[in-house]
Amino acid sequence: MTTTQPAGQSRKRTSLRTDILEDRPVNLDGFVEEWPEKGLVAMESAFDPEPGVRVEDGVIVELDGKPRADFDFMDTFIAAHAIDIATTEASMAVSSDEIARMIIDPRTSRDEVLAVIRGLTPAKILDVVRLMNVVEIMQGMQKMRARRTPANQAHSTSARDNPIQVAVDAAEGAVRGFAELETTLGVVRYAPLVAIALQVGGQVGRGGVLTQCALEEATELELGMRGITAYAETISIYGTESVFVDGDDTPWSKTFLASAYASRGIKMRFTSGTGSEVQMGNAEGKSMLYLEIRCILMARGAGVQGLQNGSISCIGVPGAVPGGIRAVAAENLVASLCDLEVASGNDQSFSHSSMRRVARLMPQLLPGTDFVCSGYSAVPNADNMFAGSNFDTDDYDDWNTIQRDLQVDGGLRHVREDDILAVRRRAAEALQALFRHLDLPTITDAEVEAATYANSSNDYPLRDVLADLKGAQSVMERGLTGVDLVKGLEATGFHDVAENLLTVLRQRVSGDLLQTSAILTPEFVPLSAINDANDYAGPGTGYRLQGERWEELKKLRHVTSASNPETEVS
Amino acid sequence: MTASTSRAPLTTADYPLSVNRPDLLRTPTGKALSELTMDAVVSGALTAADVRIAPETLLLQAEIADAARRPQLAANFRRAAEMTAIPDAEVLLMYNALRPRASSAEQLDALAERLEGEYGATACAALVREAAEVYGRRDLLARPEQD
Repeated sequence: MTTTQPAGQSRKRTSLRTDILEDRPVNLDGFVEEWPEKGLVAMESAFDPEPGVRVEDGVIVELDGKPRADFDFMDTFIAAHAIDIATTEASMAVSSDEIARMIIDPRTSRDEVLAVIRGLTPAKILDVVRLMNVVEIMQGMQKMRARRTPANQAHSTSARDNPIQVAVDAAEGAVRGFAELETTLGVVRYAPLVAIALQVGGQVGRGGVLTQCALEEATELELGMRGITAYAETISIYGTESVFVDGDDTPWSKTFLASAYASRGIKMRFTSGTGSEVQMGNAEGKSMLYLEIRCILMARGAGVQGLQNGSISCIGVPGAVPGGIRAVAAENLVASLCDLEVASGNDQSFSHSSMRRVARLMPQLLPGTDFVCSGYSAVPNADNMFAGSNFDTDDYDDWNTIQRDLQVDGGLRHVREDDILAVRRRAAEALQALFRHLDLPTITDAEVEAATYANSSNDYPLRDVLADLKGAQSVMERGLTGVDLVKGLEATGFHDVAENLLTVLRQRVSGDLLQTSAILTPEFVPLSAINDANDYAGPGTGYRLQGERWEELKKLRHVTSASNPETEVS
Repeated sequence: MTASTSRAPLTTADYPLSVNRPDLLRTPTGKALSELTMDAVVSGALTAADVRIAPETLLLQAEIADAARRPQLAANFRRAAEMTAIPDAEVLLMYNALRPRASSAEQLDALAERLEGEYGATACAALVREAAEVYGRRDLLARPEQD
C-alpha cells in the first residue's frame, strides 16, 4: 500500500467514500500515462508508419514507407514470406474503412476477408483495426477465428514440482473439459518426471487431451521428439530486430524450428504479445499493437499453424495504458485475420480487481477463440509456475456460472464431486504403478490418498527431492519414450489409460494435428480449421451453444429442482 | 520424395487422413496405422521409431494445406518432409547454428551444402542461404574472436 502519507505530514481530510474507494483492490493495480516516444502506447501513436507498398519485378521494394535498403530483418522476412505479392497492391488500394466493414459484415465470408488481408502490410492492418471499437473487434473474432468450435487450455504445475499433483490436477482439468494442458517447472531438472505425470494424468480424465512442457527451446523439442509431450507453444517471437536478437533467435532460426517440430509430427505454435518489446527495453518508438502485428505476420510467413498471443506474460504493460485491453483484443483478432490458430491469453495474473479480471476476458469468451485461455490455472495460483493466471481453480464455479448465464461456451463444465475424486485417484494410482514399473522414485499410498482430496501442493506429503531428481535424470539417460509409458501402463493394468496415450501417439503418424487449430475430440477425431472450419454468417449460423452441450452447461454445483424445490440437481 | 503421381491431388475433404484416407498412411518403418496396436506394443513389435511421421505423409498434409489456401503452412510441411531424414541431435545443432551471431558466412554456407548434399533438403538449404544473406547485411554473423 502506498496511499499512507509519511508520519508527521499534515494529512488532508478525505471523505469517507474516498477512504472506501482507496481500499478497493483495483487501486493496487498499476497505471501509467502514455509515452509514445518509448513505445508505451497501445495502438494510437504518431510514430507508427503510414501504410504503403511498392512492388517491382515481383519483389516488395518499399514497405510502409521504408525502402528495401533500410529494411531490418523483420521487414525483410515479412516482405519475402508473409505478404501475397501477387495481390498486395490491389489489397492495399482498398480503403481501411471498407476492410473494417468487411470484417464485421456477416454477408462477407471469412474467405473473402482472408483474401484481402493476405496482401496487407503491418501498418495497413493496424490502420484497419484502429477503426474498430471493442464490440466490433468481438464481432470480427466471432467470424474470423479459424476453428468453429471454441476450446480452452490449462496450466497444470506445482510449486514443489510434485509430479503427483501435476498428474491429478491434469486429470481433473481433462474431465472438466480442457483440450490442452501445459506444465512448466520451478526446478528445470524435474522436467522429465513432471512431463510424464502430465501426459499420464491428462489421459485419465478423458482421452485425447494434448500436453506440453514449457522449457528452453532445445529441451522442449527433445521431450516432444521422445513422445513424452504432444505439442509445443513456448516458441517466442518479437516485433523488433533488437529484441528478437536479445531472445537469441531470428525469424529464420524460428522458421527452421517450426519445420523441425512438424518433421517429428508435433503440433506447435509461436508465442508473442503486446508489451514484450517495451518490457524488454527496445520498442524502437512504435506502438505495442504495430509491433505485435509484425510478429503475427512473421508467424504466418514462417508457416507455423498458430500463435499464442494476447500480451501473455506482459499483460501488465498494455493493462497499464489507456485502451490497452482493447489493443489486446485487437491482437487476437489480427492473428485470426491472418488465418492462424489463436490461443488468446488470459493466462497471467493481471489485476487485483475481480471485476477487471472478468472484463479483460470478455472480448475472448463472448465471441469464442480457438483457446479462450492459453493457460487457465488448473491449480491454485500459488502453485502456478507461470507466475499465476488470470483465472484459477477457485474460479471454476464462477466460470461455469458465467457460461450458463450468457449461454457461451468457454470450454469447461461442472463435474460432480464423485467423478472428480474418481479421476484424481485413478491418475495418482496410474502414476504410482508406472513409476514402480519404470523403477522411478516411489509414490506411497499416503500420497495417492492425499492427492485424491488435495487442493494445493501444501496438502501433499513432501517428496524426497534428491531421489526425484535422480529419477528424472535416469528418464533422459535411459532414453525413455512415450511408447515406454504406454507399455508400462498396460503392464500394470491401466489398460484404458495406456490405450488413450497410444492413440494420442498414433496421431503423430498421420500428421492431422499439424493442420491449423487442431485438437482431438474425446473420441480421438482430429478437429481443425479444415473439418470444423468457422462458417459464421450471421445470426443462427456458426457455432451455437445448444443441444447436448448446452444441457451439460446448464448444470452447476447447486441448482434447485423444478419438480421438487426442496432438492437440488447437479 | 514425391508422393504418388497416379492419384488426384488431395482436397480438404480428405482430412482427417487418419479417418478418411488411412490407406495413404505409412510409418517411416513401413507399417500401416492399423498395425500400431496395443498387442504390438506389448510384444515389442512397435517401438518409438514407429510413431514418427513419414516424409510422404508430410507431403500429403502439404497438399491439404495448399487446398485450404495456406501456402506458407504447406511450405513448412515440405521443409519438414526434408528434415525427417536428419537425426534429432543434428536438427538441434542446425537450429543452434542459425541463432544470431552463432555462425560465420562460411559455416552457414557449409550448413546449406550439407542440407542439400547429405539430405537432399533443398528447401531447407534455401532458407539457410537466405538467412546468411540477411545476417551478413544486419551484422548477425559470428564475430571474429578478439585477441
